[in-house]
Amino acid sequence: MSFLLNCPNCGPRDVNEFACAGEVTSRPKALPDLRGLTDYVYFRRNVAGVQREWWYHRFGCEIWFLAERDTRTNEVLKTELPQASAGTSSAG
Amino acid sequence: MSELHFLSPDRARSEDLFAPRFASPLARVLAGTTSVLDLSQLGKIEVRGDVDAIDVEAEVVRITPRRALVLCPYEQCAELRARLPGLVIDMTGALAGLELEGEQAMRRLTDLDLEGLPAAGKVAEVPALVLRDGSRFRIFFPQEFAHYVGEVVLDVLEGIE
Amino acid sequence: MRLPEQLNERIDRSRPVRFFFAGRVVEGFEGDTIGSALFASGQRVFSRSFKYHRRRGLLCCSGGCPNCMMRVDGVPNVRVCTEPVREGAHVHAQNVLGSLEHDLLAAVDHFGGPFTPVGFYYRTMIRPRSLWPLYERFLRNVAGLGRLDKHAGRTRRFDTEHRRTEVLVIGGGRSGREAARSAAAAGRQVVLVDERGAPADGAFEVLAPARAIGIYEGGLVPVDAGNVLYRFRAERIVVATGALEQPLLFPGNDLVGVHLPGAVRRLVDEWSIKPGERAVIVSADERGLAVADKLERAGTSVVERIDLRSAPPRQLAARGSRGRLRSVVVDGREIECDLLVMSGGRQPAYSLLAQAGARVEYDAERGIFVPSDLPSNVEAVGSAAGEQEPAAVPAATFEGAEGAGRCFVCVCEDVTEKDVKRAIAEGFDSIELGKRYTTVTMGPCQGRLCHVPSIRLFARENETDEKAIGTTTARPPWAPVSLGLLAGRGHEPTKRTSIHHRHEEAGATMMWTGFWRRAHSYEHAANEALNVHRGVGVIDVSTLGKLLVQGPDAARFLELLYPNRFGDMKVGRIRYGVLGTDAGRIMDDGTIARLGEDQYYVTTTSTGADTVIEWFEWWNAVWGLDVETVNLTGALAAVNVAGPRSRELLGRLAQIDTSNEGISYLDAKETYVAGVPCLILRIGFVGELGYELHFASPYGEYLWDALLEYGADLGIRPFGLEPQRILRLEKMHILVGQDTDSESNVLEAGMPWIAKLDKEDFVGKWALEHVQERGFREQLVGFEMTDGVVPAEGGQIVLGGRPAGRVTSSRLSPQLGRAIGMAWVRPELAHEGAEIDIKVNGGFARACVRLKPFFDPEGERLRS
Ligand code: FES
Ligand SMILES: [Zn+2]
Repeated sequence: MSFLLNCPNCGPRDVNEFACAGEVTSRPKALPDLRGLTDYVYFRRNVAGVQREWWYHRFGCEIWFLAERDTRTNEVLKTELPQASAGTSSAG
Repeated sequence: MSELHFLSPDRARSEDLFAPRFASPLARVLAGTTSVLDLSQLGKIEVRGDVDAIDVEAEVVRITPRRALVLCPYEQCAELRARLPGLVIDMTGALAGLELEGEQAMRRLTDLDLEGLPAAGKVAEVPALVLRDGSRFRIFFPQEFAHYVGEVVLDVLEGIE
Repeated sequence: MRLPEQLNERIDRSRPVRFFFAGRVVEGFEGDTIGSALFASGQRVFSRSFKYHRRRGLLCCSGGCPNCMMRVDGVPNVRVCTEPVREGAHVHAQNVLGSLEHDLLAAVDHFGGPFTPVGFYYRTMIRPRSLWPLYERFLRNVAGLGRLDKHAGRTRRFDTEHRRTEVLVIGGGRSGREAARSAAAAGRQVVLVDERGAPADGAFEVLAPARAIGIYEGGLVPVDAGNVLYRFRAERIVVATGALEQPLLFPGNDLVGVHLPGAVRRLVDEWSIKPGERAVIVSADERGLAVADKLERAGTSVVERIDLRSAPPRQLAARGSRGRLRSVVVDGREIECDLLVMSGGRQPAYSLLAQAGARVEYDAERGIFVPSDLPSNVEAVGSAAGEQEPAAVPAATFEGAEGAGRCFVCVCEDVTEKDVKRAIAEGFDSIELGKRYTTVTMGPCQGRLCHVPSIRLFARENETDEKAIGTTTARPPWAPVSLGLLAGRGHEPTKRTSIHHRHEEAGATMMWTGFWRRAHSYEHAANEALNVHRGVGVIDVSTLGKLLVQGPDAARFLELLYPNRFGDMKVGRIRYGVLGTDAGRIMDDGTIARLGEDQYYVTTTSTGADTVIEWFEWWNAVWGLDVETVNLTGALAAVNVAGPRSRELLGRLAQIDTSNEGISYLDAKETYVAGVPCLILRIGFVGELGYELHFASPYGEYLWDALLEYGADLGIRPFGLEPQRILRLEKMHILVGQDTDSESNVLEAGMPWIAKLDKEDFVGKWALEHVQERGFREQLVGFEMTDGVVPAEGGQIVLGGRPAGRVTSSRLSPQLGRAIGMAWVRPELAHEGAEIDIKVNGGFARACVRLKPFFDPEGERLRS
């Protein structure tokens, strides 16, 4: 991988400066049933196409941001800072 | 609220029995070289909050709209800590720094756009802050990488005639 | 022997250069390559082929085939036809046992019938298993080309340099230079790279000799310039890599004396060498036929010209003896000759374009593959784009003559027409499968000479056309690159604490933990552990992750992240916390000290620090709470002073009352220690009375020295990670990642008091509730061996002949004189005194389950 990623704060940088935390998932609002919990914790859509993802500018400004990336071509269509309390998260 | 005195090297004091010695993490690796300057003892104070509200006579490096690093002489740290707005963290001990000459050496250390400095980015595989003044460059990076970065920088300089 | 001075010759006859080859001195001139000088000295055989050890000569003489690879000054696989001569160089043939003329391994070609078909090794060298060591030795011997000097050390330096340019032109031929010039004229910043050493140009920068080895995403083009790897980022990439002369496939096409037109042209024009006495030309295009003039100028008589465009023969074969061409047979006619120039037309060198994402389509009319649909940042010019004079489409192979030899499709890997046919018959009929099975196109030429011919052959054998067969995927490297260049300078990012050099000076055994260098032990781990129990020890724990969490939402933030409660803590107090994920998994542990109403100081494990910090910042980005997290890991050094005499030592240095009243267990206090402002955490890190000092990194060495100096009479000794491990195990402190894995949660790990399930929400709450509901599947417990043997970590626990758990930690405790450990066991075994059997050295050893710390179970010494 050598594509460039546009940090909303620093501008375009080599992807090696970043860490990817995978696709954006949605944390249930309240206690989910077991099925719901398993889906949230373990299942990913893993799309072949445009995916919304979390990225961290690990070697730069150290901010988390969201990117829309085509997983087939690594074309990054958009990057943006997260809206506070977006209610989105991932289980890690 | 703690004022985090334990973060500030300049708060150490000599008493009758004790005389604390500030040691640069680059001291050993740069011993005997003149091509690289050790900036580790420069004052480096991080500000979290509204960066635009910073109004001091010192070099302010903006990292994000909510985060900046203020560079100052070591002796000025105390004064700046008192005057800076927002959450003020003394990073003097956290960051090592060095200064070197030459664009080619920098190109062998980093992929950063040297026309777009200052910037935070990867230098010698570690996170760093790079500033430029003509053909001279200052690099600040976590002190735990200092010895390693020092070795890389000296090796790079050796490879450039 | 050289010809009289030629118009464009590259050699400087006034400057001879001498080097050594096979024990003799060879003389060439400045401007020669090692290959041209050898050829001029009469050398015709340059290598022995990969599999059959057949003699091979200067097929292409332009760095595109495998035939002239030699070892030059210890470096294997150097193509001598493009390697400039160097005074005193030592040049050796490779892949031979003996000499190029008498290669003992050539037996494979003559008698090695059964070894020859493709796939032979795969099929044969499997059984019996017991023979594998023998097979392996044999395979290692026949696999690969060239020998490495294993004792060479760092003989050359390699650097990586990052470059940016507006326009990068790859290829310094006519079209490349034109493109560079016009881009420069339009005011663009241009760099041109050329593998052959194009001359400088005032209008733009020329980097030569240098080879682009690929085009990657983001306009990244790594360029191999020998000792420097340039990583170019270009806004626009112009590919002017030209076209590749293609060979013809006929029996005997690998004989020494068979050349591509370019080889002949270069030998005559650049180095003024007569390539042979009697020449035959077989060509699909004008370029090939045009070398006739050059040959005649050089005094070679051209005895036959065969133009494939007008009169293609059915039969074409080369005959030779001792690997050298003696005659050519054309439709039954034998023509004596020592030089055969073959030209199968020219194929655009599209590989870089295809790597960049271009489509490659077969043009049946012209018999070549042409790039199309280029990505927007890439452009192709000249013959790389498909511009070229018309040529005949040659037959896939020509019929041979009686007694003619093998017909080679791929000279790198010695793949013959027969091999390809057999592969297809066996079912490997797609080009991608056939490639992997026969290894055609996988050799040093990277398909330059064999890609198109193999597609043609596949098409014919499958009774279809080239378009239907298609090409294989183009991948970097387009040009061979040395591993040293890819490895670069070879420095590993390394973290050292500010006390690091003191450990080295004390002779500590250092070890890696993540990026950190840490002291494993100084002398004897058991003694260092005992010294902590009996007197006082000190350990460098600067590697611990350290975080400041500050802001109005600080308590809320931590309560959401941890299963613990923090809002009820008093300022100045410390609590142990375990961090979990929403899957309930334990990800880290550490201490949390409340320094102020809205201010917490959090420590993490040494190896988990970076992950935890990113984790905090990420949740903060998600929740958007009013809190700041600041990484203080490197800002602060930390040492843990532990042992019954630690209070006395600290009393000498610190400015606070170190009695239990002054600073009690789990208190956090700020004070000066030996003149350095410190945060003191009184925690039970290693199970004895102890204090952890956190202070500015620049004073690491100073304070370390002060502790050792003022503790000398108390018997203070530094201790490393290994004694720390023993001490913590004695207290049943878990080691995250060692005692826990991706399934471990705080409940089953025996720390239910951590999880405040009555809190409204925290990361991992739902998963823990689920665990509680479903019941425990296994539990983390301590165990004590009855006979003192230390079981291996990972060792199996068996109950009634069935697996019932596993050992995660085990050590001999010098303090207790017993072998102790931690293990995951089935819940029915998780009670005090339960007897378990652990597999040890093939047998079983008995152990007893323990639920309370092995040492100081009530924590009296901690609180003392
Ligand atoms: S002859 Fe040197 S590479 Fe072909
Ligand atoms: Zn950034």
